[in-house]
Amino acid sequence: MKALKRQSMLPPPQAHEDVIVFAVGGFKFAIAAGAVKEIRSMEGLHGFTLGGISAQIAKLTHTLERSGTTYFVVDAAMHFLLPPSRPSRVLILRNVPTGVLVDSTDRIMEITTLHALPRAFTHEERGWYRGLAVVNGAVMPVVNHNAFLNKAELEVLRAGLERVRGVVTV
Amino acid sequence: MIGDGDKSYVLFPLGEKRFALPAEAVTELARPDSLQTFPHCTPLLAGVLVRRGRIVPVCDVAQVLIGPGAPPRKFYLIANCKSESGQELTAVPVTGECKLASAACVPLTGKEPHYISGLLAIGNETVEIVALEKLMSMEAPA
Repeated sequence: MKALKRQSMLPPPQAHEDVIVFAVGGFKFAIAAGAVKEIRSMEGLHGFTLGGISAQIAKLTHTLERSGTTYFVVDAAMHFLLPPSRPSRVLILRNVPTGVLVDSTDRIMEITTLHALPRAFTHEERGWYRGLAVVNGAVMPVVNHNAFLNKAELEVLRAGLERVRGVVTV
Repeated sequence: MIGDGDKSYVLFPLGEKRFALPAEAVTELARPDSLQTFPHCTPLLAGVLVRRGRIVPVCDVAQVLIGPGAPPRKFYLIANCKSESGQELTAVPVTGECKLASAACVPLTGKEPHYISGLLAIGNETVEIVALEKLMSMEAPA
């Protein structure tokens, strides 16, 4: 068998980036460290129920009031369509009113290469991930932090909360 | 003996049957590496391999070609899969060793699934040529 000579795929670009490694449902993921404002315990979370919105965005399970801001907290296991897991930490994201429930956080580390998600992956995962990192031979998806709650979902949530509370600051 | 119009194909086994890929698309036959998985929703994709610094998706075509009762896969046939959006290496788990063969295509009967692009008559055996990109674009069987 001859090796393919016309290999058009270029090596992935070099990119140094600090990421936080976290676990959900037995899988490890990475998120840009710059996208995370705070990692905290589950203390202070309130169950989220808001009429039809709760059914519409089922992965949104809690809210958190923090410094006058309402954070909408998404269950990462539900986001990634995994079986229920045992969350113990909340990642509070920066610049968006979103929190993410994860099982645990592992460490902060630097990745040097972000591989594109292979084109063979064609479903929801294309929105979930910015790419893949290889850490000590293990492949780890680097999540797209803006996908936990997209702009349209946040608008729906803002409008819903405003209806209920009158005014909400997010 | 190679006749006029014969092309080279890599014949790969899946259980009792053999299938073919055009030899020019195949880059290597690899031993089982550690398959790595992460959450995704794309049917047929079993995970990825890391090969020489590249991430190669693994497409378990046996589910479609011979059904759920396929024996354990022993090797990965790594092929270049072309699609409208470009091309990339794809690993296909196979159940035994592969063979290079030259043969002429015989006409399709019209009853083949859309992911079969041709037929090879090798001795008494008819081997289906798999269009990997079409196979990968279909949904997994229920």
